Formats: sequence, structure tokens, C-alpha cells
Amino acid sequence: MLELEGVETYYGKVQALKGISIKVEDKSIVTLLGANGAGKSTTLRTISGLIPSRRGTIRFRDEPIEAESPERIVKKGISHVPEGRDLFFDLTVDENLAMGAYTRKDRTEIEHNLSRVYAFFPVLQNRRNQYAGTLSGGEQQMLAIGRALMSNPRLILLDEPSLGLAPLMVKEIFRIIQEINREGTAILLVEQNAHMALQVARYGYVLETGRIVLQNRSELLLEDQHIKEKYLGTRK
Amino acid sequence: MLLQVIVNGIATGCIYSLMALGLTLIYKSTEHVNFAQGEMSMVSGFVAFTFFQMLGFSIAFSLFMCLVSSIILGLLMERLLVRPAMRAPHFNVFIITLGASIVMQSGAGLIWTYDQFPFPSPFPGKALSLGLIRIDGVSLGIMGTTALLMVGLYLFFKHSKTGTAMRAVSQSQNAALLMGISVKRSFALTWAISGFISGVAAVLIAPVIFLSTRMGLVVINGFAAAILGGWGSIPGAVLGGIALGILENVAPYYFPSQIRNIIPFAVLVGVLILKPTGIMGEETKRRV
Repeated sequence: MLELEGVETYYGKVQALKGISIKVEDKSIVTLLGANGAGKSTTLRTISGLIPSRRGTIRFRDEPIEAESPERIVKKGISHVPEGRDLFFDLTVDENLAMGAYTRKDRTEIEHNLSRVYAFFPVLQNRRNQYAGTLSGGEQQMLAIGRALMSNPRLILLDEPSLGLAPLMVKEIFRIIQEINREGTAILLVEQNAHMALQVARYGYVLETGRIVLQNRSELLLEDQHIKEKYLGTRK
Repeated sequence: MLLQVIVNGIATGCIYSLMALGLTLIYKSTEHVNFAQGEMSMVSGFVAFTFFQMLGFSIAFSLFMCLVSSIILGLLMERLLVRPAMRAPHFNVFIITLGASIVMQSGAGLIWTYDQFPFPSPFPGKALSLGLIRIDGVSLGIMGTTALLMVGLYLFFKHSKTGTAMRAVSQSQNAALLMGISVKRSFALTWAISGFISGVAAVLIAPVIFLSTRMGLVVINGFAAAILGGWGSIPGAVLGGIALGILENVAPYYFPSQIRNIIPFAVLVGVLILKPTGIMGEETKRRV
């Protein structure tokens, strides 16, 4: 469904991605692991068109998208839940969700998506007229995911959903991520919490300073000595 | 009659509110400061003048063209001067708009001379008596039009999809892009709306103070109003404008009339010492 090949991205003169190749299959969860500054968020930002790639190809459903605007990429079916949620704090929950459906014109489809989001996150429905800035951290993450769902995407790019959340809330968010995936949406998950990520993902990539250094099925990565030492914090 | 003076002050204040509103809208959505807001008003006033005085069109049509030209002027400013400097520091854009205001002022002087011209008001001159106070038609028209414009803008920003998207852009351009909102289009629309407001201001103010190239200086009061109300706050801009107008009219009632221009700014400084963020301004604090 999504295929990156030899993607290189620069911030000015600094090369952030040094030729990345990633594949996300239909309806699967794939995770991208790595330390701070490895290039995980940059990869997502390159896919969604926020930063242009300088070399390489990005194909989504067999169409090249590396030269498209973020607007076009959303319309094609990729939603990006950015790092740190990046909500519209002075807009209400309902307004944030409405903005998620900005590219959708069909009213009944929008209504349908809204009720789907509220089914996933009933707590948001109780706060629909509250400003996003007044929500708790967990609720803000739910709203960020809900906002991404409003465009009815085929693929969601999820950047660090566990960031700053209590363990119970992390569990809850990951449960919902799996549920969303079960309904047919593919997910590319960026995480620092490697343990959680590998439990829900089918396949994983490990990024180090702009390069993929390791990739495998999740259950094999969980057993990998390098991963254990560097990302899972277990030594045996 | 203090009450009478206050009512007159509100009418003056409405003009300041409109100036402040134009400045605030652009600032809120693009973080740019448009020093040419007053000159945009002046130029569109002269456009109307050209239509009715030089070309002989009807007043109504000329005023309509004033509004149309103000929107076009706003769009041109954005497209030709501000957008190319989008990645430049905000201070550079401020200087660019300052330069634009000087160019517009001299250009208008070249075309239309530096004289003062009478400008027709779309409102009847007949005064209305309400108990103790009398409001002339022009003041009433200024207040009514301003109120109508405010309500219209409120409904647009609060309830329309485009208006909500514009608010979203002002909060996070990054997230807005990810929603598929065009930030460029949103900026252009902001300038068009601010241009329109400057056109409305021209229609309201030119009949009162005469049309001249110096008309654009009213932007200074607009800045004072916006800062008094709380820089960046839309209700603050409206409130600050009206407060400034009232002060300016009430001050000569108690003090020698030369003080007219001093008192408002003295109050402005006083308010900012007591509450540096202005009347409606808020410190940015936010849960993360």
C-alpha cells in the first residue's frame, strides 16, 4: 500500500534521511523504532508532504506521491497524527474533528465518520463543546487520533502516541489503535516505547541516524539481542 | 452633556475599532503587522472619489467600487509584498508594509494631489432625538454599520467551515496543512477580509474627516486601540477602539481641548503598566 524507496530528506544542508526504504502492507501495523533524532518523525513528515524529499520515490496505492502537496496526500487517504498531537487548542473538540474532515464534502459521510470517532472515544463526546486545550493529555491524544480518522484514511501515520501518558492510558490508546486497525486501516507507528509498539505491530524497522539498520517481523525483533539492549532495556 | 459626548465618542471609536480589527485579523492569522492598513483605507476612498467626482458615476456605485477596490488592494498586498517574504522575519514584513504605506501615500498625492476633498456619506444627515441625547444620522450609520460588520465577521469565523479553518491556521499551520487546509489561501483570504474592513472604514470615516492623503494616519489610533484592548484579541480590538474614542471625546469635556490627543495615550500607557497584556489580552498558558 505504501512503499518508500531510497528516500532522502534534508533540513537545509543537514541530511536527515539517508536513503530509507519502507513497506506498509494493506491493513497492517508497521512500526518505526529508533532513538531521539534518528529520523522517525522526519520520515512521517516526508510521507505526508510537509517536507519535500530530495531523492527516492514514495508510492501510495501504486501512485507516486513524493511530489504532492499535503492537501493532495490527505485526499488520497493518508492521515498524519503529528508529534505532540498539534491540536487546535482554541477550537472545540467538535471543531477539531470538523477540521479533520476538511477535505471531505459529503455530509452523510462526515456524520458517519463523526459517530465512528465518538464510538471509539466516548469520552470525547461528553466534551464535544470543550476547548481542546482544556483536555487531559490522554484525551488530547484521543482527539488527535479522532481528528485523523475524520478524513476516513486508508493509512494513518501515528507519531509517538504514548508520549507523556500514564501507563494505563498508553494501554488504552494502544488497544484503540489495534481496534482501528482491525476495521481495515493500515498504521505506520513511530514509537519510543519499543516494547508496546512491537506487541501490536506485525513488522518493524529500526532507524539510526537516518538509516534503516534493522528490519524484521515483530516477534523476531523482540528476540533480537541488539534491540533488547538498545530499545527494550533488557539484558539476559 | 456627558452622555452626548460619550455617544459621539462611540462613533469615533467605531472607526478605531475597524482599524484595530483589520490589524488584529492579519496579526492573528499570519503574525504579520500591517502598517499600511490606514493607507489601504485612504486609497480605496480615493477610488470612490475618482468614480463619482471624476468619472461621474452614482454615489452608490462609487462606494461599492470603494469596497471592491479595498478587497483587491488587500489581495495585492498579500500576493505581491507579503507572500514573497513569507519566510522572512516578521520585522521585515513590518518594514515592507511601512514602505508600502509611504508609497501609497506619495502615489495618492501624485494622482489626486494633497488637498482635502469632501466625501459624501451614505447616511442621512438628519439627527435622531433619543430622550436627552441627539444622534446625527452619520454617527448612527457608523455605529450601525460597524455593529453589522462585527456580527457578520463573528458568524463567519465561528460558524462557517472556511472561518473555522482560518482560526485553525492561526493556531497551527503545521496541523492545518495536515488537515488539507491551504495555508496560502487562508492568508490571502485574511488579507481580503482586512482589505474589506479598511474599505468600510473609508466609507465611514471620509465623510467625517474629509478625504485626503493624510487619512491613513488613523492607523496610529488603530494600533493604540488594538494594544489598549489587548494585542491579538478580536474583542479587545473592538473594545479598545471604542474606549479610545470615548476617552478622546470626554477628555476635552473636563480639560483644555489641546489635551484631546494626549489623554488617550496617557491612559494607554497607564493600562499597559497595570496590565501589560491590555484589557482583554491574555498570557499564553496552555496545557501540554
